[in-house]
Parts: sequence; C-alpha cells; structure tokens
Amino acid sequence: MTSGPFAPKGRFGRRRFLGGTAALGALAALPRSAFAQDQALSMWTPGGSPLFCDMHQGLIDGWAAANGVQATLQCGIGDGTEYTQVLIGSIAGGTAPDLSIVWDAPIALGIQGAFRPLDDLMANSTIGAETWPAGLLKSCQFGGKTYGLPVTAGLFGMFFNPGMFAAKGMPSDRASMPKTWDEMRAMSKEFTVWNGDTLETAGFMPPRNNVIAIVFAGLNGSKFYDGENQKYTMDAEANIAMFNYFLDWLNEEYRGDINVIDRSGNFNDGYPNDTSGLGPAFQEGRLAGLTSGSWLMGDLYNDPKPVFDRYDIAGLPYGPSGTTSVSGFWPNWMVMPEGSQNPEEAFKYLEYMSVEGVAEWFRVIPDIPTNANAKQVVPEVVVQTQGEAFAVDITAFWAGQAKIVTPMWDSPVEAFGQDQLARAMEKIYTKVSTPAEALAEAQTSSQAELDRFLAG
Amino acid sequence: MADQPAQFSVAGGPIPPRRRRGAGRKEAWAGVLFAFPWMVSLAVFTVLPLLLTFVLAQSKVQITGQLQWIGLSNYDQVFADPAFWTSAENTFRFAVILVPVKLVLALVLALLLNRATALSGFYRTVFYLPFLMPAVAGSVVFILLLTPDAGPINLILRAAGLDPPDWIRDPNAALWTLIMISLWPLGVETLVFLGGLQNIPKDVSEAAELDSPRRWHKLWWITLPLITPMILFNLVIGIITSFQVFTQALVIGGTTGAPAESTLLYMVVLYRAAFRYFNMGYAAAMATVLFVFVLALTLLIFTTARSWVFYEGDSR
Repeated sequence: MTSGPFAPKGRFGRRRFLGGTAALGALAALPRSAFAQDQALSMWTPGGSPLFCDMHQGLIDGWAAANGVQATLQCGIGDGTEYTQVLIGSIAGGTAPDLSIVWDAPIALGIQGAFRPLDDLMANSTIGAETWPAGLLKSCQFGGKTYGLPVTAGLFGMFFNPGMFAAKGMPSDRASMPKTWDEMRAMSKEFTVWNGDTLETAGFMPPRNNVIAIVFAGLNGSKFYDGENQKYTMDAEANIAMFNYFLDWLNEEYRGDINVIDRSGNFNDGYPNDTSGLGPAFQEGRLAGLTSGSWLMGDLYNDPKPVFDRYDIAGLPYGPSGTTSVSGFWPNWMVMPEGSQNPEEAFKYLEYMSVEGVAEWFRVIPDIPTNANAKQVVPEVVVQTQGEAFAVDITAFWAGQAKIVTPMWDSPVEAFGQDQLARAMEKIYTKVSTPAEALAEAQTSSQAELDRFLAG
Repeated sequence: MADQPAQFSVAGGPIPPRRRRGAGRKEAWAGVLFAFPWMVSLAVFTVLPLLLTFVLAQSKVQITGQLQWIGLSNYDQVFADPAFWTSAENTFRFAVILVPVKLVLALVLALLLNRATALSGFYRTVFYLPFLMPAVAGSVVFILLLTPDAGPINLILRAAGLDPPDWIRDPNAALWTLIMISLWPLGVETLVFLGGLQNIPKDVSEAAELDSPRRWHKLWWITLPLITPMILFNLVIGIITSFQVFTQALVIGGTTGAPAESTLLYMVVLYRAAFRYFNMGYAAAMATVLFVFVLALTLLIFTTARSWVFYEGDSR
C-alpha cells in the first residue's frame, strides 16, 4: 500500500519504483567503455595484508596524481587459485582490469589468450627485454612472446642464525657457511639434539617444498623441466640421486621419519604450520639454517618474534652433481589482461612500477626489484631490525643471487608439473615409493600433459 | 437435463460460472508473472550453464571464450587420468560412509530435540548453528582441535590412555577426519526430521504406546514409517551434496589431496583442472560425468522409494 501512513503519496509509488529499477538496469547495461573516459587505469592484485594494499594504493595514487589521470586499485580479492579464479572470470566476462599482479607463472594463461603479449610495447620503452635478467624473464616467455614482467621477485638463499653457530664454537660469518651438501650435512650433525621422540634442535633440513626442490635440482646441476627442449626431466639420474641423498640424510640424522620431525616443530619454513599450529623452528632458535625466499626478511620479526637479535643470509650449497651455487626465484609478475581498456596507460604504469615503483615496494616490503634500471634503495624493515650497513650489504647480496637463478616457472603446464613433483616428494619422504618410482610416475604424467598441451 | 454437462463436472461438482473461470485464469497469469523473474533466473543461471557445460565438455576451451569442437576427447582424457579414478574412489567411500551415518545421527538428534523441555528452542538453535558457519572456518577450527600434540582431542584421548592417530597427516586417518568434519553441521537434516516427527498425529502416537510399552516398537513400526518422506528427502539431498563436497577437502588436503591423495575428492580434481591447470574442457567433462552419475543414482532411489516411502493417505 503505497498510500499507507508509512509511505506518503508521491514519495514512493509503483511507477517511481519501476522507473528507478529501469534506470538502474540501464546503468548496469551500459558498456564498460562508457566509463573509460573517467576511469583511466584499473589494477588488481592478489594478497591483502594492510601493508601490501596500502603500499600499492599509495603507489597508484601517487602515479595517477602525477600524471593527471584517474586510477583504481582492487586489493584483497584473495590469494593463489582463488584470485586466479576471479581474474580469469573477469577476463572471460569482458570486465578485466587494465593491469594485474599474479603469483602464478603467466605463461599458461598467456598462451590461452588471457594476457596480452607485451613485446610490441616493450620494444620502444625504457623496460625493453634487455633490461631484465634473462632467467627471470623466461618465466614469462613462450613461443617468442612475453606475457608479463617479473617486476619484483623473492629470491632464495640460506637464512642462518649466527648465534647458534657461535654457541657451538663454529665460525658464524657468511663465508663460513657450507658450500656443498656434504658440508651442510656434516655441519648439521653438530646441532641435532633429540629429547626422546622430539627433535629439540637441528642444523639444516632436506628440502620438503616442491618449489625449493626445483632450486636444489639446479644446485645439483639438474632440472625437472627443460624449457629449451620443452621436455620434462623429472626422473633424470641426478634428480633420483638427489632424493636418494636426502633420504639417506633423513635416515642418518632424523630417524628416517619426517612425521617425527613434523611433530617436533615446523622445521620447513619460517611461518607457523597451518595444520599442526607449531611455530617456526628457525625463529624459535631450534634450527640453525633455513632455505627460504627473501620475503622472509619482512616477516621474520612478525608473530612469533624470533628469540635471536640477528640473522644472516648465505648462498645455497651445491650438490654432488653440481659445480656451483645457484638461486631460485618466485616473482610478482605484472600482466596486462586481454580486454584491457587502456593498454597505453597500463604500460606507462608498468614502466613506472618496474623502475621507480619497485623502489618504494622494496623499501616497504623486501621483494627484490629485478629490472636493471630499478632505483636502488634498501628495505626499511631490514634497516630497523639489522641496521643500515647490513641492509646495504644484503641488498647487494640479493642482486648477486638474481644473476645466478636456475630456470623456473617456464613450463606451459607449470602448475600441473609442480603438483606432480609435490606428489612425488610426498611419496618419497613417506617412503611409499622409491625416488626412481615416484619420479618416473611424475615424469610420465607431466610429459603426457605437456604433450597434450603442445599438440593443441 | 440437457444442460447437465454444462453444470456438473465428471466428478459431479458444480462448474464455476464463466466469469469466475476468467478470474481464475487471470490469477493464473498473475502467478506466472510473479514466478517469471525466478523462471528467467532458473533458465539463465541454471539451465543454460548446465547445457553449456555439456558443450564445453566436448570442446577445447580458451579462457577468452573461444571454443574448438573436439568431440569426446575430454572424456578420453578424464577416464585415462589416474587422478579421476582416485578421486572417484575417495568420493564414493566418503559418500557411502557419510550419508548413512549423518542420517542416523540427525534422526537421533531430532528424536532428542522432539522431547518438549524448557530448553528445546535453545538446543534447536545450538544444533542448527554449525550449519551457518562457513565451511572454511569450521575446517580450520577442526584442524586446530585435531593438532597431533597440542590439540585438545588428542590430549583427551591420551589422558584416557589411548594412542590417537595423526588425524590430518596420516593417510589412513585423513579421509575419516574429513568425514568427521563433514558430519558436524547436522542442522538442516535434523530440522527436516524434527518437522516430520512433529507432524505425526498424537492419536496415532498414543495408540502405539497403548499397543506396546516398548519404545523401539513405536519407533520401528510407527515413527520411522511415518517419516519416510523425510528420510527420502535427506537421503537424496545427502547423496547429492556428499558427491559435491569441496571446501573441507581443499582446506585439509589442498589441491593435491594430501596426505598421499587420501583426501583428493572429485570436486577438488575438477576445481584444480579448471582454475589451476586451466583445462576448462576437462573440468566440464568431469562435471557432466558427475551430473549423469548423481542423476542416475537419484532416479534409482526414487524408483526404489515406491516400495519403502509412505505418504499420509497412501492406500498401500
């Protein structure tokens, strides 16, 4: 009853309601291009920590103000697959942002036409192909096309606790850290302390994460995927030998049982474990050395607070079949989704981010800038926790690590291959299969998926 | 009597006057009009995607929407994939255990809640609440409760002298843990049963109590037959939802179904194929296989239901 006491006549009638609904419908039906004149640039990013979102919001606002355009940022949409799901939905639906950060290698989606190749735009810009480390840029390239840019990257190194080494009367400087896996095993023994079935302290650990395993394969002079020849090489002799080496280490030093290790604490990374709830052994002063990405520098002093004041980072030791140290990387790729309404403006922002924006990014969150023209700064969090001299030193260290990265993220079926590797590693470490069996199985399925993909 | 057929229907009732029939037709049109938005949404958001899924299942799909017809190749790939069979087996085991256990527990709970006490309303609300909690949050709470060393459940079991399993990391225990977590939100099934129990006529119930003082006689011969429509409803919905369980499995086992693929359920494989491997055609083929299987199972249940479901006023 529109004429009732609570709805005075003339204020909200059926006609007005229908008229309003029609107007809203018409507004919703307007093509996106109708907004394009006012909306110069839209960008999305996965993640969502306040620090990360505020940093990106500040960057895009500053750039937009300086260039007299409007720009918006969507942060906090989700992480990982959840974010990818929303992004590809928007691309398929024709409402894609102009730019996006992605945390999964862009090749697979790029080949499917989801991301715009950047080669033409890069050719006459300040961020041409020659300005990027070749190893990192390959994570975006397939078939002669570049589907994104690795504007910043987490690089892998050996975080170590100098206090634990000093307490054992061992040298605790970076140069004294193990250079080979044999040295690492020998050094590790010095720290292993059991209390019944609980591992109290440990030196180093065999790699348990599939991304880190790819780096260790590189350290052993091998790889799981040969990008040049587009072949998986999971069951290569060196890879089987690598896992046999780790199993031997597990048996000799850790009672041959990863479950015992996992029940004793989180010895695998620098974060509380999702399922066990146990805290990171490294920060608890129970693990002398931990292979991790450079992002840990930013998170190390978060909850839980470490029991030590100082840490340091060294290069990774190489394996019996390797000859030199290498590093690995996990970039923040920036891509231009197909359907971008403002590709020119988007690429200008990409240029800005690659050279100038990454400096602020690195200052706030220590993801390493990768472009050769990127402005040099030091991460604030490292200055605050370890001092200016260390921050300068470690920034130079990471720059060196960026030059020795092993090829990663370059398969068109990357996620499939990585899942197969993770599955194989689980079977190996739980001793359900031998390394040869598990890797052969992973090799067969990954190669079949790759062949299917390449066959079109 | 020539005009009799015009005045009486076959059943002998009076035929409404012409003007009244016109009004009925108008009301019918009004009903259609009111239902129209829902019918449009059903067509656009349910029927059309369902049909498109069958099209996608026979296509090579680009994210940007380009389709290339490839016939049954996606089905070949699905049936040749060990992950499909592993997930199908896990999901079947999950459903076969979960559905009957859930039905029994919900029925027991409904029988308890059917007793009139001062706190009946409170208990009904409490038992319904878990259904309102997002599956992700519920799964995380269970993960914390089931932590091997410091989790309260294992602490209690150890205090009782038992040797508890590693609920989430032991491949032999993980699927059972998933079933346990999925049993938790019993609210909807319980309310459906409760509705059925409260619809049982009092005179029938009292007559049964007079006939036999044994409670289980009343339960077996009176209560259960009278709530068979609710059992059928919960059974069908339970089967459909148990084959579509996703969130808990993803939270516990990730996209690889850890540990050792023991929590790799069908929907997880489908999801990862679509949004992690970007193989939409494969995912659509899996979806259609599941659709056909669940449809066949549902039809089978409805066919057998004729012999065990009793409706009020049914002559059988």
